[in-house]
Amino acid sequence: MKRAAALLLALVLAWLVGYPLLITLLEALGWPRAWSLAKFVEFAERGDEWLALWRSLWISAASAVLAAAVGVPLGFLFQRAEFPGRRLLGALIALPVALPPLVGVIAFLFLYGESGFAARGLQALLGLERAPWRLGGPAAILLVHAYSMYVYFYLFTRAGLARLEASLEEAAASLGAGRWRTLRRVTLPLLGPALGAAALLAFMTSLASFSAPYLFGGSFRVMTTQIVASKLNGEIAMAQVETVALALLAFAGLVALRRWGPGRATVSGGVRGVAPPGRALRRPLARVAAAAAGWGLALLLLLPHLTLLVLSFVPPGTWTVETVPPVLDLGNYRRLLPLGEGSLAGLPERLRPIVNSLWMAAAATAGAVVLGVTAARLATRLKGRLGGLLEGLLAVPWAVPGTVFAISLATAFSVHDPLAGRLVLVGTPWLLPLAYLVRSLPLTGRSALAGMRQLDPAMEEAAASLGAGRWLTLRRVTLPLLRPAVMAGASLAFITALGDFVTSIVLYTFDTRPISIEILSSLRLQETGVAAVYGVLLTVLSAAAFLRWGREEGVRA
Amino acid sequence: MAAFLTVHRLSKRFGEVPVLAGVSLDVEEGEVVVLLGPSGSGKTTLLRLVAGFETPDAGDIRVEGEEVTRLPPAKRNFGMVFQHYALFPHLTVAENVAFGLEARRVKRTEIAERVAEVLPLVDLAGFGERRAHQLSGGQQQRVALARALAPRPRLLLLDEPLSNLDPTLRERTRRQLRSTLGRVGITALWVTHEQAEAFDVGDRVALLEGGRLQQTGPPEELYLEPANPFVAGFVGRASTLEGFYVPATPGDGEVRIGDDRYLGHGVRWPALPAVPLQPDEPVLCVLRPEALELREVTDDTLAGEVAERRYAGETTLYRVRLVAGGELLVAGGPETARAGDKVGVGRRAAGPPPRLFPRPAEAK
Repeated sequence: MKRAAALLLALVLAWLVGYPLLITLLEALGWPRAWSLAKFVEFAERGDEWLALWRSLWISAASAVLAAAVGVPLGFLFQRAEFPGRRLLGALIALPVALPPLVGVIAFLFLYGESGFAARGLQALLGLERAPWRLGGPAAILLVHAYSMYVYFYLFTRAGLARLEASLEEAAASLGAGRWRTLRRVTLPLLGPALGAAALLAFMTSLASFSAPYLFGGSFRVMTTQIVASKLNGEIAMAQVETVALALLAFAGLVALRRWGPGRATVSGGVRGVAPPGRALRRPLARVAAAAAGWGLALLLLLPHLTLLVLSFVPPGTWTVETVPPVLDLGNYRRLLPLGEGSLAGLPERLRPIVNSLWMAAAATAGAVVLGVTAARLATRLKGRLGGLLEGLLAVPWAVPGTVFAISLATAFSVHDPLAGRLVLVGTPWLLPLAYLVRSLPLTGRSALAGMRQLDPAMEEAAASLGAGRWLTLRRVTLPLLRPAVMAGASLAFITALGDFVTSIVLYTFDTRPISIEILSSLRLQETGVAAVYGVLLTVLSAAAFLRWGREEGVRA
Repeated sequence: MAAFLTVHRLSKRFGEVPVLAGVSLDVEEGEVVVLLGPSGSGKTTLLRLVAGFETPDAGDIRVEGEEVTRLPPAKRNFGMVFQHYALFPHLTVAENVAFGLEARRVKRTEIAERVAEVLPLVDLAGFGERRAHQLSGGQQQRVALARALAPRPRLLLLDEPLSNLDPTLRERTRRQLRSTLGRVGITALWVTHEQAEAFDVGDRVALLEGGRLQQTGPPEELYLEPANPFVAGFVGRASTLEGFYVPATPGDGEVRIGDDRYLGHGVRWPALPAVPLQPDEPVLCVLRPEALELREVTDDTLAGEVAERRYAGETTLYRVRLVAGGELLVAGGPETARAGDKVGVGRRAAGPPPRLFPRPAEAK
């Protein structure tokens, strides 16, 4: 019974997760017409393909390094130094992890772009003719990546430091090690696993990153933008081959980092104890310095989002050559929500993307929660191969870049062949939520698994010993106890789907266009204020969901 | 008339490892039986089989004549106190206590009454709205007890109920818990690995080792008449010397230790055979420290040197290395001797007599 259910679920997950990838691989190899490596040969002979692969690789590695350079010191500062506002700022600077990448990118554009605040300010200050720089190319991509991915290092460093036993550093000090030696020989090595995990996360996220290369890259193409360009040019077969190449690169990166990366060592050998408290700095100068650094860095990191907020109040066409916008009003918001103007007449066209994103994200999240929780429950109950298979299937979409999934789903669900498990979903409103669902599975599944593992089996036994049947136990004990973990996974899944850009740009139709696509078209139409409003709304919705439910497990999932 | 709870030849393996090998045990109504044993002895497995969390490979379990061996735990109407209490963290104390009543579809008004009745029983009146993490360890333990008792189970199972408490708190909680069980009059199986706890709370103690029941009986019986050297060693302090059985009147006898032709090198002491023995059969002689005393060396003593003095509060223990070979633990006053003193170890007439067991073949 349990095995049959698990088998059925494994089949469903394989159909959602593995099958589209397989079909894509097969079609890239010429199936069903004739097997051929022609497209792969063509791929291998084109210099720009190799260049894109190479750029994906080095951009990802460099992004991880830069993100570490920002995030690790930040983590130390906020975990170890005590200064006023530490708790609030500490939570705030973790926020970018919960924000859709596209929002980060346009916020960056508005602040540091050639017509952004920073450029205009400098221009006015120095009396320059033109903007002092153009934001574009690899430097811009790296900047945005570092800016959004430092959070992984920041959070993992803080978590690692919080778990670190105070006595270990005290032991080093008692053995005569100075502060620097203790850091280098004791603290950092113990943080190794946490930093390795952060590096893996940053690397994989950069590899899959699409928004920044798409908006800033221009002719500097990485694999993700290359794939979408091929798709938009109608070179479907080439897009499939490129997809296979990127998927292989992602898997190779995953394996390599798991194998040789710094995350190999296990977490400090089950050391338990008291974490060192935030150090109350005794010298007043040090305290002021720590506070200044904390506030300064936090402000710098949150500045793009403040910019976004300001821009959302700038009426279209009013800000031309001034350093700061001359007019601020609620016009952009009014255009979205025509309050009082007979709004019952139907859904205002501008509101449509928001409604689309909300329902698609909600449906995808609900589906991903049901599948993820069920699979996690069966996987923990069934030891052995079937349980491992379920866990593996849940994890696969994490390692596969969104672009790869988008192309694969478009490939698999563009043919009507129900017997082979293929339906025409391309062009229907169902493909996008399905894509969101698949991409959300690792988030809901992993958090449910973590929750299951933490669940003391004695809880369910206690319920049984008190006479509760299976259903009552599930309803009153198991699910309520799993709730925090499941809610954390669900809120992250919801946020991810709500702000999704990378799969949407491949799979959307006009009727299902989500917020991200609308932001893009607003930017194209030079409606900066409207784009900013959408960005603010996405930020607010995401931040609310993240702060309410996502924080606890968010880091791990 | 069969006992209230009958465990009949219960066996259980986990993979290839046998954990219980044919254990049988009867528990009378209202009796508190303690399952005592070192870790890995199978005592927790036995409790979990009775609870229904595991299914035995062989044997059966009956309660009031009803076979429950394969009944799911929820249908057995037993209560259980878990080692780490397993209080539901998302429910209040009152909701925890009410859980078993809800599962039995007791009416809401009656549930409230019963909860109000049970909480004072464990000294927790007024704590109903708190959550588990707001309580001390001892209070949590009492909630666990109240929750198990509230549905009025026919049998209460306790899995090391005190092991999670501070040692200072343990003894007091032990008394409280035992007196609550007495007041309720419930039949209980109580698992522990601590002999003092077992002796304090058990009407009878069932000692397990290696998946087998070694001896079942009241505490005095286990202490004074251990069935085998393992029981003797596990229950209280004891030293073991090798010797030979010397028959006297039937069922009675003496033990010859060492060579009694030389002063201090051997003795003949009255001793109780645990099983019928042959004349001159090689035996293991188990001696309690309080059955021995330090004296001048005489005919009736074993000579030796005090190797160690262990002060233990109410009594002081002396480890004596004998000239005849072997060691003995001897109880005495705090200043009876010092390490290095030459002494004789004699029998104290009031102490429990040495107990004799046949020496296993490899020890002969």
